Amino acid sequence: MVDTIYAEDEIIDTKKAQEIISKFRHAKVTSIKRFGEIFNPSNQNFRIQKTNPALILAKKQKGFVLDAPKGFGIGDQNNYYFSHMYNCLYDCSYCFLQGMYNSANYLVFVNFHDYQSEIEKTIKKHKEKKMTFFTGYDCDSLAMEPITNFINDFVPFFSRYKKVLFEIRTKSINNTVFRTHDPLANCIVAYSLMPEALAQILDKKAPSVSARIKNMKYLANKGWRIGLRFDPLIYCSNWKAQYSELFANIFNEIKEENIHSISLGSLRFPKSFFNKLLQYYPNSEELSFLRSNDKGIISYDQSIENEMNEYCRSELMKYSDARKFFSCG
Amino acid sequence: MIEKNLEGVSVRWVIALKGEAEEIIKNYAMKRVATTPFPVYKNKDFDMWLILSGIGQLNAVAATTYLYVKSDASYNTIWINFGIVGSRNFKVGELIQIDKITSSDFQDNYYPSPSAFKNNNIERCNLITVNKPEKLFENDGVYDMEAYGFFSFAKKIAPHELISVLKIISDIPGTDLSEIDKHSVEILVSKQIQLIEKVLKNLLSSQKIIFLQLKDPKYFDEICLQKKFTFSQKVTLRKYLTQWQARFPQRNPLEEIGQRMTASQILKKFSDNLMR
Repeated sequence: MVDTIYAEDEIIDTKKAQEIISKFRHAKVTSIKRFGEIFNPSNQNFRIQKTNPALILAKKQKGFVLDAPKGFGIGDQNNYYFSHMYNCLYDCSYCFLQGMYNSANYLVFVNFHDYQSEIEKTIKKHKEKKMTFFTGYDCDSLAMEPITNFINDFVPFFSRYKKVLFEIRTKSINNTVFRTHDPLANCIVAYSLMPEALAQILDKKAPSVSARIKNMKYLANKGWRIGLRFDPLIYCSNWKAQYSELFANIFNEIKEENIHSISLGSLRFPKSFFNKLLQYYPNSEELSFLRSNDKGIISYDQSIENEMNEYCRSELMKYSDARKFFSCG
Repeated sequence: MIEKNLEGVSVRWVIALKGEAEEIIKNYAMKRVATTPFPVYKNKDFDMWLILSGIGQLNAVAATTYLYVKSDASYNTIWINFGIVGSRNFKVGELIQIDKITSSDFQDNYYPSPSAFKNNNIERCNLITVNKPEKLFENDGVYDMEAYGFFSFAKKIAPHELISVLKIISDIPGTDLSEIDKHSVEILVSKQIQLIEKVLKNLLSSQKIIFLQLKDPKYFDEICLQKKFTFSQKVTLRKYLTQWQARFPQRNPLEEIGQRMTASQILKKFSDNLMR
């Protein structure tokens, strides 16, 4: 549990900051000027910080809503993402966050209202177009829900914009917030999944895949729309059998009509991220298959990527309509 | 105590005065190895050094820099600033770990990493570095004359997680500073030596993690001795050997290298094998 909280002077007395601080009665609270004093300095070690992460409460100043990368989406014309938090409760070995940030501390921007104002502006500006807002890329929003109440604040907000999709990407099996709200037709609870045996090795601190499937079933039965995200696809010696089994297990539990969309993505990192990961996990067989391409991006060999994509798509087509399939980037 | 010849152990103490350092020097069996420009002490069995910086921020920066060079400290070195402080919030004799360092002269603040505080139940507080002994203690926290200077340099040469500022309360409002002598300080320190060891133990466990991260993969040195690799080729070789170990733990990469192979041919051979 968090034993150190840093809070920016500007927001330390706000209702949201105090609400969060009150959940950690034994934590030492230290005031800071800006989160960058703690989060940005070089010479920090992500892996050591991960053993005892501090919580940083800050105010986001700009860049509330960002364009999603090209090719990323679940069918809409305009795709955006927003991050009220950086870093994650879980500790997945392939997570790009550990390559991207110097710090493993949890950074929460507490000015949710400013995010909502910016999202509103974006919606009004592009009201003719279909759009999706993604959350859960720089953190797992649902996993941190007991602390931040983020989803509790944003589900009612997005209920006002029925034509806009809101995707919550997660591995968490926390379903309390979905029990306290009526299902929202424009909200997708999207689960990141991989074969159980791989998840046991790679998805450290995250719920097991079987628990995620059980939770998806629960949410689907409650009326929430489910997204399946096989992103990244992980290559290993018997990947075909493992993925086939995973797909069968999912569709054995969840009716196809409850699935909003399915997306597949490849494992890719900028070179600098990958070098850090290799330093952190020198014994990872999964990382040993990755190579640098001409553009300095680390990925599987193109033939492996293609084979995995094609195989998984054809397997998934046994259970679901291909029109629901999308690519993550 | 630290085991002898422990792989990767490297510790540096920066302490203002002999009275503050005496118990640390004794506890870790360090011997004097230099007297000027700063007195320097060293343990003969493992890589632990201590420097007496003298009072003040400038002395602290100069001594930390000097020790860094003199002792050839690696990036993966633990740096501890230890000494006595005054405060209005604590009792005389309490050991405090510092979680925020401010200066009466500079705007920037420093924040020692919380990973050093994990599970040790030692009091934590902020520290204000001032230029002359504090008597009024107008703010909460503790007052010293060196930590800011020490940290400003240490953070450039070591990971934040290996830098610690530890202080013992020697004076509170009303204390007659003339009564704080070498002997009384030694007594204060000796009473907290076990807790100081506990902090060091935490730092050592972090150091071990970084040591393993920075360690070259198996066979790296042998291969570099056999053939001439450029700097960037060495980076690639390090990466391939790391991946090799994970993928083919039973296969010795040295056996893949033919006598007449060049560095780039060796890299290609490893790359081809890893592609399969």
